[in-house]
Amino acid sequence: MTPLAAGKEAPAIQITDADFQRFRDFFYRKTGIWFEENRRYFVDKRLVERIRETGHDSFRSYFTMVRFQASGEELQNLINTMTVNETYFFREEYQFDCLVNSVLPEVMKNKRPDDPVRILCMPCSTGEEPYSIAIKLVEEWPEIDEVDVELVGTDIDTTVLERARQGIYTKRSVQHVPPALLKKYFDPLPGNHWQLKAFMRQCVDFRQANVTDAADMKRFRGFDVVFCRNLLIYFDDRSRREAAENLFGVMNPGGFIMLGHSESMSRISSLFKVRRFPEAIVYQRPL
Amino acid sequence: MGFVKSDTQEVVGSTEHRREYSRDPEGMLQQLRDPDPARRRWAARDLGEFPEYVSHLVDALENEDDETVRQAIFDSLARIGGDEVAELLLPFLRSEDAQLRNGAVEVLTELPDATAPRMEKLLHDPDPDIRIFALDILRVLPHPKSPDWIAQILATDDHVNVIAVAVDRAADVGTPAMVELLEEVGQRFADEPYIQFAIRTALERIATGA
Amino acid sequence: MARILVVDDAATVRSYHRMVLEQAGHEVSEAENGLEALEKVLRDPVDLLLVDINMPKMDGYRFLREVRRDETIRAIPAVMISTEAEDSDKELAWHAGANTYLVKPAKPEVLQRLVALATGEVTA
Repeated sequence: MTPLAAGKEAPAIQITDADFQRFRDFFYRKTGIWFEENRRYFVDKRLVERIRETGHDSFRSYFTMVRFQASGEELQNLINTMTVNETYFFREEYQFDCLVNSVLPEVMKNKRPDDPVRILCMPCSTGEEPYSIAIKLVEEWPEIDEVDVELVGTDIDTTVLERARQGIYTKRSVQHVPPALLKKYFDPLPGNHWQLKAFMRQCVDFRQANVTDAADMKRFRGFDVVFCRNLLIYFDDRSRREAAENLFGVMNPGGFIMLGHSESMSRISSLFKVRRFPEAIVYQRPL
Repeated sequence: MGFVKSDTQEVVGSTEHRREYSRDPEGMLQQLRDPDPARRRWAARDLGEFPEYVSHLVDALENEDDETVRQAIFDSLARIGGDEVAELLLPFLRSEDAQLRNGAVEVLTELPDATAPRMEKLLHDPDPDIRIFALDILRVLPHPKSPDWIAQILATDDHVNVIAVAVDRAADVGTPAMVELLEEVGQRFADEPYIQFAIRTALERIATGA
Repeated sequence: MARILVVDDAATVRSYHRMVLEQAGHEVSEAENGLEALEKVLRDPVDLLLVDINMPKMDGYRFLREVRRDETIRAIPAVMISTEAEDSDKELAWHAGANTYLVKPAKPEVLQRLVALATGEVTA
């Protein structure tokens, strides 16, 4: 720690219990994300960070600003800070195997010849997931030469979307990419970073959206496959159901949705049908 | 062939436009009678923004046979909330249709302020099934009076299946004040192994404060 | 010994059935509604289903109809268990694909006997 000159130390900013409750209710109404008590430390720390960053000296004045700011800019900053993104290339790869070997063949059976196949990653965070899918399709799905594929990644957080578009990753993020593929699709950068080659970065359309916001979600439709992994776990029951309704709406009848391996749609909604494929359990919007 | 991007900035995905209904509540009500369930579902979702059309949504529920549309109607009713929604949903607890019953229970649990004042009446309904649904609502309804209501049932109800569910709830929200009552229920249903088991479970939970 | 999936929305009922069936030497897993049960049984098939009727999200009738529709799990025998004691309810259970019907609350020996019959451990 660097000792600060006496008297120059920034005054400690306290988040009281009541502040936390108010913030939590507000954040829930805006995003559908509910913080349990055991996340208190995490929330407080980030709130204090934002309060300092914006030059406020108390929760009260900061919170007033957030609520009444017409541009909504600071709310977006808050959302960005509060939603953590832990992701890497080929995470839970068996689901991508399932996509290529089982799901897409079934999607193709119900496709009209000229219809594109539409795949949505929601949330896409810094892009590892949609780019993994792009690589997987190019490498292992021969039909990619015959059909158009629209691959869309969305996230509520605009900074991660910007990073996704740049496609620069740490060593850790690409550790599960086989060396041959790393060489083929990435350029090494100084500092042990890797950048996805431009022709691959163009494969994915990145857009901002909130899965619990019905109006936001109406802008997306006609998807055959949706990846929504490890997002719904952060929501409460009501927001989960809203999200499930919204996801159902963006999908084509007969479309498939994949959740994270510890997640289960059966705790959320009865809109989807459970399907068992050799590689994974997948949910389907009934035909 | 290969990867492409949607050419519109506004809408991603299918750009098919089939909009022939006006985007006001009147148009949505018409759309709620469209032969295509996908379009009825959108209408049901959109009407969730208009509290003054609650009764239309509830009416549509009764004649709707598509599950996804029903679900959308229930979700919209939950979003609107309030006394009118609770009042109009109560009769569905008596429906022969399990999905309608369950949907109504689910919405009512999400509307504690509107449901709470109606709870006592439900818990004293002559039909044991209704009393069980009331206890189902209590399972998730976050209300400070829940322990009192459960205690009332334990003290007065004599239907074994209603008691069975009430003891199950007591395991969740039981308080030390309920111990004596539970023991008394155990004596009343001494020859029901399940009730005995459930009471032991509830008493253990209360004792450990779990 | 049979692997049995107990499907009921009341936690106490599930623990009770677990206790009774484990006493008889069976291996028990649990699900709290038909949807969760369907997902569990698709992931990991069992020898017998013990299914309540009234449950949120997916009730027992619909659960059994779904089971009977899927060729990989349709042969699993099922005992329906409910508070309803009317003949019409038994008939509905039968049509949904139940092999046996049991009125709850069930006595341990009755449940154990029915399960033994349904899994073919004993014959009537």
